[in-house]
Amino acid sequence: MPRRFLAFAFALAALAACGCPMLGGPAPTKGPAAVVEAAVALPNENGSLKFAVLGDFGTGFRPEYELASRMIEVHKTFPFELVLLVGDNLYGTERPQDFKNKFETPYKPLLDAGVKFYGALGNHDAREQRFYESFNMGGKLYYSFHAPHEPIRFFVLDSTYPVPDQIEWLKKELEGSKEDWKIAYFHHPPYSSGGRHGSDVKLRQTLEPLFVKYNVSVVFTGHDHFYERIKPQQGIVYFVVGSGGMLAPGDIQPNTGLTDKGFDTDRAFLVAEIKNDNMVFNAISRTGQVVDSGIILRRKQNP
Amino acid sequence: MLFLCLLAVATGGAPNAPSPAFQQFEARLKDYVALHQKLEAALPKLPDKATPQEIDRNQRLLGKRIAASRSDSRPGEFFTPPIQDLIRASLQDVLHDMGAKNLTASIMDENPGPLKLVINTRYPDNVPLSTMPPPVLAALPPLEEDLEYRFIGRRLVLLDVHAHLIVDYTDEVLP
Repeated sequence: MPRRFLAFAFALAALAACGCPMLGGPAPTKGPAAVVEAAVALPNENGSLKFAVLGDFGTGFRPEYELASRMIEVHKTFPFELVLLVGDNLYGTERPQDFKNKFETPYKPLLDAGVKFYGALGNHDAREQRFYESFNMGGKLYYSFHAPHEPIRFFVLDSTYPVPDQIEWLKKELEGSKEDWKIAYFHHPPYSSGGRHGSDVKLRQTLEPLFVKYNVSVVFTGHDHFYERIKPQQGIVYFVVGSGGMLAPGDIQPNTGLTDKGFDTDRAFLVAEIKNDNMVFNAISRTGQVVDSGIILRRKQNP
Repeated sequence: MLFLCLLAVATGGAPNAPSPAFQQFEARLKDYVALHQKLEAALPKLPDKATPQEIDRNQRLLGKRIAASRSDSRPGEFFTPPIQDLIRASLQDVLHDMGAKNLTASIMDENPGPLKLVINTRYPDNVPLSTMPPPVLAALPPLEEDLEYRFIGRRLVLLDVHAHLIVDYTDEVLP
């Protein structure tokens, strides 16, 4: 058995041993998403959904290119199909040459390989990015899409301008979604230990009740320039992945009580794999170090 | 809704009876959107999957045409003094009711602070868009999809998002 499968099997065994109700026992009602922290390699199974998450990347500078090269390397052995962009896709000017230098060139091998990027807009992004062909937003500031396989729906929000219409739309979309996995992503973090930005409490007060009510399992965000996995909040696992090009070294504040795992010394992206009820994730740094990994068991609907 | 109630109270009218100032504000917005849509319709339609060249060309061309059509416009055309007073009062109420510290922190996050603003010119490329917390948006008069509110410093900007153009701005409306 390849080593990576062994690692995954080990992690699942550990999960069972910890008495987690998501394995073996009856399905919980509106239960929390569980996270098992372990040195988990990605199982790389046939038929699973493999995706990456990237945020705050569009600088056009060397660190962005180096992290992009790392993503391309990872893609050779772990062929993720999607990249979720959590915003700040282009910093500064947004002329045609900026789209090229800050996005198309560094990620060209991925684009050529057919990897689809799905954009959310950050506070540095012009609104017209929604029409850009390679961000697959269909001209919309907020939208949802079904994963190419596995019962998964992604909800992509515009967190810089959350008009009441958008919140109403989100409620209806979540309510109507029949998928097992509901994953939201957007730019501003409802939870973050960032010293520069930190948690957007008002956004949290608006979105979190909907996420809890409609069984969102995972939320990806950016804005703060580091990687952080938040301790599950009301059963939901929140990530900050704002480390795709920008970096705020040492910005994770140690006293927030929010951090399950943080990494603020280099750029990083996240790769994940979903099969059935499990999402296995690795956060990978520019040098290829796995800085965080684990398994998330999705929240389950009422029977 | 809060904004409309304030309007009614400030003018001594019953709720849902907008003042002449507010009616004028709405009428000017309506005229602006009509002009925007007319000029935009004359441009090649931007597909849902556009190239950067198409996006840039349309945005700059639309900006130029709107600016040319509104060459006689002046600051305060939309945000007249009575409207500014009402926005200021409405924001103060929201800040008081919903927690000034968190709301202001969101708005001022990466906000460039005081900046020279010129109407009918392009929103500065290097200036991030301010975050607009949901309670603040709910307290401001609703806009058509072509327009948005943003803060630069403590001033509220009316932004044409398709043209990336500053349409109008207020004096300082945040405390």
